[in-house]
Amino acid sequence: MIFFEFAKRNLARHKFRSVLAILGIVIGVLAITALGILGNSVQLAVSEQLCMIGNELVVYPYGEEAISEDNFKKIEKVAEAIPVQSIGDKATLNGESTFVMVYGMRSEDIPKLLEKEAGQFLKHGSLNCMVGSRLADNYELRVGERAALQSQKPRIVGILAERGVGFDISPDNAIIVSDKMFDLMYNTTGYNSVIVKVEKIEDVEEAREEIEARLNKKEEVVMVMELKMIVEGIKGLFNTISIFLLGIGAISLVVAGVSILNVMMMSTVERTKEIGVMRAIGTSKRGILRMFLFESLILGAIGGVIGAISGFGAGFLVDVLILHEASYLFAPSSILYVFVGIAFGVGTSVLSGLYPAWRASKLKPIEALRHE
Amino acid sequence: MNVVELVEVTKVYELPRGSVKALDNVTASIEAGEFISVMGPSGSGKTTFLNIIGCLDTPTEGTVDIGGENINGLDDEALTKIRRDKIGFVFQQFNLIATLTALENIEYPMILKGVNGHEEKSKELVSSVGLDEELGENKPNELSGGEQQRVAIARALANDPDIILADEPTGNLDSKTSKDIMQLLKDTNERGKTIIIVTHDPQVASYTKRTFRLVDGRIDSDGVFL
Ligand SMILES: Nc1ncnc2c1ncn2[C@@H]1O[C@H](COP(=O)(O)OP(=O)(O)OP(=O)(O)O)[C@@H](O)[C@H]1O
Ligand SMILES: [Mg+2]
Repeated sequence: MIFFEFAKRNLARHKFRSVLAILGIVIGVLAITALGILGNSVQLAVSEQLCMIGNELVVYPYGEEAISEDNFKKIEKVAEAIPVQSIGDKATLNGESTFVMVYGMRSEDIPKLLEKEAGQFLKHGSLNCMVGSRLADNYELRVGERAALQSQKPRIVGILAERGVGFDISPDNAIIVSDKMFDLMYNTTGYNSVIVKVEKIEDVEEAREEIEARLNKKEEVVMVMELKMIVEGIKGLFNTISIFLLGIGAISLVVAGVSILNVMMMSTVERTKEIGVMRAIGTSKRGILRMFLFESLILGAIGGVIGAISGFGAGFLVDVLILHEASYLFAPSSILYVFVGIAFGVGTSVLSGLYPAWRASKLKPIEALRHE
Repeated sequence: MNVVELVEVTKVYELPRGSVKALDNVTASIEAGEFISVMGPSGSGKTTFLNIIGCLDTPTEGTVDIGGENINGLDDEALTKIRRDKIGFVFQQFNLIATLTALENIEYPMILKGVNGHEEKSKELVSSVGLDEELGENKPNELSGGEQQRVAIARALANDPDIILADEPTGNLDSKTSKDIMQLLKDTNERGKTIIIVTHDPQVASYTKRTFRLVDGRIDSDGVFL
């Protein structure tokens, strides 16, 4: 294609100018791609968490007083409920003493909420314990060893899988014991929180209302935290952030577009005489139009591809640095942003080239020939 | 057959400060195979005359036939095709395309027309205008003025047109090179091409067989030099 060849050579004739124009597109596309991928990764990460725990409610006592057994029974009537006792305490692990969270849970509830990495779950009424993964790592705890808590020395029968900071409980730096053991050590009454699991995420709202209706009839006794709400709030926030970031990308593309428009206008004026010659010896208007459109297409395609590749790289870096997780990068919805970036780069460039190309093709041959 | 037929052609340019009559009721016929010079003072309408024959400009009044075809009222696309297929242009400033090599410049009109074997033909044309074959790979800025004008003539001949139009083709060349170029144009004419040359130089005009004189847009006389 002769006009493609012309376009290539004309761009090569003004390398510096072409590189600058490409750079503009690269930056715009890089921004769009990287920010799009980041926003998307965050969304994916948050959504994943939402699926995991979105169907949970956590009931906390309103004041100082723990949730009584009676009130727990009422909660249990609404949906499956897991009572949790918790306290911060000093423990001795492998000879070192440290502060830990101690959770007391009914043995049969533990597997519903947590996963184990090694060993066993607690048996009903067990006087043993399980430890969180962070504790196990930090104090080199192994299944079979003993922890020292209060005056007890429960044997570690299981190590929990890492779970991160949760809205319900945070087991990584904690020791989990059975309800019986907890009572034995701390002799408290009532529960510090009750985790309620509904079957479907849509039922969360109804369950919350029902619990509040049953327990807070006379006075505020409990406070119900809806995880779905919190997670969706965060999701919405990240959504806003990623739209904002995409906006920045879009603005830089507009700037790049204006600079391409400028470069192309300059080159139509500079090449007026040449356009006149080409028209005189038989080049059609369409040919001139094509030549200039190819120029902007080439600028956009090169800038778009370089921008999208570096945007993908930047997205990777940011994912690893901020989310500590690169797997979202290869999700189809993330890859999509690479193509969205290229499309925006090419689109902006061709759009910016449209007017100069049209003007060049409209030049009257004799007037263009007289141009010096 | 008359390859150019102008009947009562007038060209008026409308300017903000009034109108300019560049051609005033010009009638002229040119037969196939003629070698013609157009002379006259500056501003007398020589370039306008050539541009109308070359389908770059259209008359305000009068009829124009090129190669037996009436071009009045043809649209831009049709005029472009006539320029591509029936006319060869040679300019004072050579006007080769800077990004193309000499050979590519010659090929270009053939590529536009879709001629097969344009690579071979352009090589033949290079040698037929007396240019070293090695110079074919040179860009225009790597060629002398005379060499560029040879390439331009080869380009004008590429699609085997009916007419070659040359507006002061020796205007930018020294007298020795001018003679070489005129000899080349004369040879080309002797091989059967109709050629029309605009010039100020009587020396150049002496190569041609007939001269049109333009004064204030009117054709004054038809002279024959031999
Ligand atoms: N595009 C145009 N717009 C306005 N006026 C024009 C245009 N082209 C030519 N003219 C005018 O028409 C007249 C004839 O111009 P033309 O270029 O044909 O003269 P010429 O004989 O070629 O002159 P020269 O020997 O200087 O090249 C001049 O007065 C010129 O100013
Ligand atoms: Mg002139």
